Amino acid sequence: MEGAHRPGPFASASAWIVAIYLVLPISIVIPVSMTDQRFLSLPQETLSLRHYATVLGSAEWLGSIAQSFWIAVASTLIAVVAGTLCAIGCWRISRRSTDLIRALMLLPIIIPSIVYAIGLYRYFARLDLLDRFAGVAIAHGVTGIPYVVITVSTALAAFDPRLEQAARGMGASLLQTLRWVILPRIAPGIASGAIFAFIHSWDELVIVLFIASRDVFTLPRRIWDGINENLDPAMAAVAVLLVLFTLLLLLLDLALRRRRDAR
Amino acid sequence: MSAAGHALALQGLTKRYGTFTAVDDVSLKVESGQFLTLLGPSGSGKTTILMCIAGFVAPTAGAVLLDGRDITALPPEKRDFGMVFQGYALFPHMTVAENVAFPLRVRRMGTAERAEKVRAALDLVQLDRFAERRPSQLSGGQQQRVALARALVFDPALLLLDEPLSALDKKLRAELQEELKALHRRVGRTFVNVTHDQEEALSLSDRVAILNHGKLVQEGAPTALYDRPRTRFVADFLGKSNFLHAAVQQGGAEAMQLAIGATPLVQRILPGAPHPAPGTKLLLSLRPEKIALLADGETADNMVEGRIATWSYLGAGFGLSVATQDLGMLRVTLPSWGAPIAPAEGLAIRLGWSASASVPVEEDAA
Ligand SMILES: Nc1ncnc2c1ncn2[C@@H]1O[C@H](COP(=O)(O)OP(=O)(O)OP(=O)(O)O)[C@@H](O)[C@H]1O
Ligand SMILES: [Mg+2]
Repeated sequence: MEGAHRPGPFASASAWIVAIYLVLPISIVIPVSMTDQRFLSLPQETLSLRHYATVLGSAEWLGSIAQSFWIAVASTLIAVVAGTLCAIGCWRISRRSTDLIRALMLLPIIIPSIVYAIGLYRYFARLDLLDRFAGVAIAHGVTGIPYVVITVSTALAAFDPRLEQAARGMGASLLQTLRWVILPRIAPGIASGAIFAFIHSWDELVIVLFIASRDVFTLPRRIWDGINENLDPAMAAVAVLLVLFTLLLLLLDLALRRRRDAR
Repeated sequence: MSAAGHALALQGLTKRYGTFTAVDDVSLKVESGQFLTLLGPSGSGKTTILMCIAGFVAPTAGAVLLDGRDITALPPEKRDFGMVFQGYALFPHMTVAENVAFPLRVRRMGTAERAEKVRAALDLVQLDRFAERRPSQLSGGQQQRVALARALVFDPALLLLDEPLSALDKKLRAELQEELKALHRRVGRTFVNVTHDQEEALSLSDRVAILNHGKLVQEGAPTALYDRPRTRFVADFLGKSNFLHAAVQQGGAEAMQLAIGATPLVQRILPGAPHPAPGTKLLLSLRPEKIALLADGETADNMVEGRIATWSYLGAGFGLSVATQDLGMLRVTLPSWGAPIAPAEGLAIRLGWSASASVPVEEDAA
């Protein structure tokens, strides 16, 4: 009775191959991070957690983690506010010109980030934002907007426009309608967008390479430098921590979606 | 606000979408405390008129007057009207109580007073037990009543209803019609209701406005509209009707002699109605229930013989199609209880109706 349409063996096999292809490079990092050797390699005799201890005991690594975290928080804030307002504005006005604006807002994920980074570098030099916390937060915030615009626009597409009319008909101002009717309805979409914007900033490297040098040294940047300079297995440990954290955020997103769909 | 409802007037209201005219020069008056229904087939412009009154649609021409004041340009949130949308438009993320409290919250009413009013409004629609539920956990009829409570809670002087009962099944609809009517009597507010259900319009309203192709065809009390339709469209849309093409033979002060083929007819002339000259062609509307079955020897102003072509049992009555020589097929309904005949196809019967049963109507402009 259940599962009237089961996938055929070919479809199942392809799905598994793709899944393994996606997961394998990530899973190789886990044993490497627990190596007992002093260079990037698979464990020889025993599993060891000492590289994790190194990372968590190092002021440099911890500093980078904290910096990455706060940059991600700030840029998420920027992306969520700007992206949500843009999506709501486009939805309310809803003309052909707003479709164009929505498309423009997606540019940061369409244009190769290296091109974007070069452009930013030129402007930020003039604005004295190079190698600044604010500079990186703004850059990550702006490039995070597309994720929010996409998720919020999707949430708005499912929003019944008569609810807005009803609210206004009952005397609610635009702001009250926004706060009490529209935002609560699209909150799950905003949360999803925020999570993606956070992840985007959390593991962004290319832009950081261009617009930061010494004072701002994010986690991906430190991994990058570590891999280029010495093959310390601590990198693998950091990578695992990074993956775990991202996984946690994705699970949170999944849980939020579940809760919304259950309603 | 005020103790009584608002008086509302539409003056030459017109709404065009490009070259298409959705509402065409509609002028209407609703007195304070009246229940007006806008009735018309799908696409006749009912919702558009209601949206113009509510302020969501800006009319191309004409004005909306509230107690004599022009409010055409006033934004919807400033109008203070209660509104029940088609499909209710309840806020799904709020409980029933929060939904009903919304207009009060918007008006920054204190918590205690708010709770008091919400309870009273839910009592009014008999939903006090469901205050903590979400709209998705209610039946269609209950949701409809929440929408009503929400529209009434801030005591609006004018309540707008867009097909509030259309989503309900027949029995529930009848029940809620009763409730709506009682509610209107209790709160004494002005109601403007939209429907395409003619029974609902007749049973609820003080006045009915009939629309077709964006134009106001006729407006008046339900009985006046039913008994004295002005045009063929009104007669046909509001209930059922036979249409007879007759020629005037001879005029008179109170009645005129007509004929269809060899069948003579008598038609009463209503006070103030025109007296057509002999030879004029008239279109008559004759309701099926105003035709009676004549017993042997019984007479009436108008009499015709025919045979039952088809018949059906409708519970409360019989619906007959009677083939006649000159008048063509006549639809007749008879009460089934105590009917003097047992209908059968081919049965020869005599029909009769009084001179005031039929009314002359105009052919509609195409
Ligand atoms: N935004 C619009 N643009 C173009 N035409 C419109 C628009 N809104 C309504 N119309 C047209 O105006 C006419 C009247 O529409 P309206 O919604 O008032 O009809 P209605 O009487 O409420 O019908 P129903 O009983 O089906 O709800 C329809 O022919 C409709 O297609
Ligand atoms: Mg409508």
